[in-house]
Amino acid sequence: MVEQKKPQGEKSWLEAIRETIYGMAAHDMSRAALRTRASMEHLFILITMGDLLGIPILPPYYSLRLLPYVVPQIATWKRRMLREKDVADAMF
Amino acid sequence: MGLKDVFLQHPERRYIMFGGGGGVGKTTFSAAAAYWLASQGKKVLVFSVDPQASLTDIFKRDIFGKGPVQIMDNLWAQEIDADSHIRTYQQEIRQKILDMYGLPAVPEEIENYIQAASAEPAMEESAIFDAVVDVVMKGDYDYYIYDLVPLGHALYYLSMAKVYDEWINKITKLREEMREYEDMVSRLRREKENEQDQILNELHYIKNRINTSAGILTDKTKTAFFFVVIPEAMVINDTQKAAQLFAQFNVPIAGYLVNRVIPRELLDQNIPEYLRRRIAMQDQHMGDLRTAFGDKVLALVPEMERDVTGLATIKKLAAIMFA
Repeated sequence: MVEQKKPQGEKSWLEAIRETIYGMAAHDMSRAALRTRASMEHLFILITMGDLLGIPILPPYYSLRLLPYVVPQIATWKRRMLREKDVADAMF
Repeated sequence: MGLKDVFLQHPERRYIMFGGGGGVGKTTFSAAAAYWLASQGKKVLVFSVDPQASLTDIFKRDIFGKGPVQIMDNLWAQEIDADSHIRTYQQEIRQKILDMYGLPAVPEEIENYIQAASAEPAMEESAIFDAVVDVVMKGDYDYYIYDLVPLGHALYYLSMAKVYDEWINKITKLREEMREYEDMVSRLRREKENEQDQILNELHYIKNRINTSAGILTDKTKTAFFFVVIPEAMVINDTQKAAQLFAQFNVPIAGYLVNRVIPRELLDQNIPEYLRRRIAMQDQHMGDLRTAFGDKVLALVPEMERDVTGLATIKKLAAIMFA
């Protein structure tokens, strides 16, 4: 996404300004947003797939429906859940 | 007012349920009601949501897991095979995981989870109630007769539906909030629209399924719930408790049917003291039933001289129930 070839000098110059402005103004915001988003993702998996940690919450019949979508996150999620002192840390 | 009048006065009640403790005659009454309605020219499906279903025994036909099986004109019976339903469902989940990520096999951890989830006691009930949604939604029949699980399980399912609904509302909200953060990042980065959140779609689907199956149980116009009781102290106590709980969950209770009443004509004959005492005991409990449920006691069905199996005896029983 970042390493795109720019055909025209002027265009890439504009692009550079745009990215600089993005970097100064919005990068931190979007990083914070992504972080929050990731925490929420973990919280979401906890409340749907809690059984994986031994916390049964969602009726298993329906939690199976969601399982395919969270397969990639499960490894990092487990690590995070077991690392954090308090599950509530993941919420905020 | 009798059971027949209730049916004639409320033709809009298409979902007929028979509930009660274990062994009081739910299946027998379901079969007899289905027989009567079918003989009135209505197209009827009687099906069991009990993992220990016994429609096979009562109709003397092997119908387990075979979909709707025609028993006679206008009458079909179905027993849902929860195990095979769950196996098919598990396989669909596995296949979806393999397809989505192009994996050769399901990762061990995920496979373990699939196995563990399916061993949960609630799995069977959920699977059956979910299958029922499909059966009922097709709408091929005039009447759907539910041979219900014993009271405890039905209550469990109802309370489950209520909790699930709130729970799913909450996680749907969480998911929508997550979505907002995603959109915000996209806007900041000036990227194009995010693709649709598949999980959100699944959550809406799950919510819809749970609400539909619970909705049928609590539909005031289309559903009639009948308690089957026998004139014994413990059964009456349990039924009274259950009736209160069912009322709290807004289950429309249409009436009470008393099964296994010892024929009073026997009193004219020379019968042993033992039988006289049992009749006296039943008389007392019948009084309790009348005090508790009043004119909602719709039918008294005598203790039959033989097992109710096969269409001939079902017909006989239906004639008594719908006299």
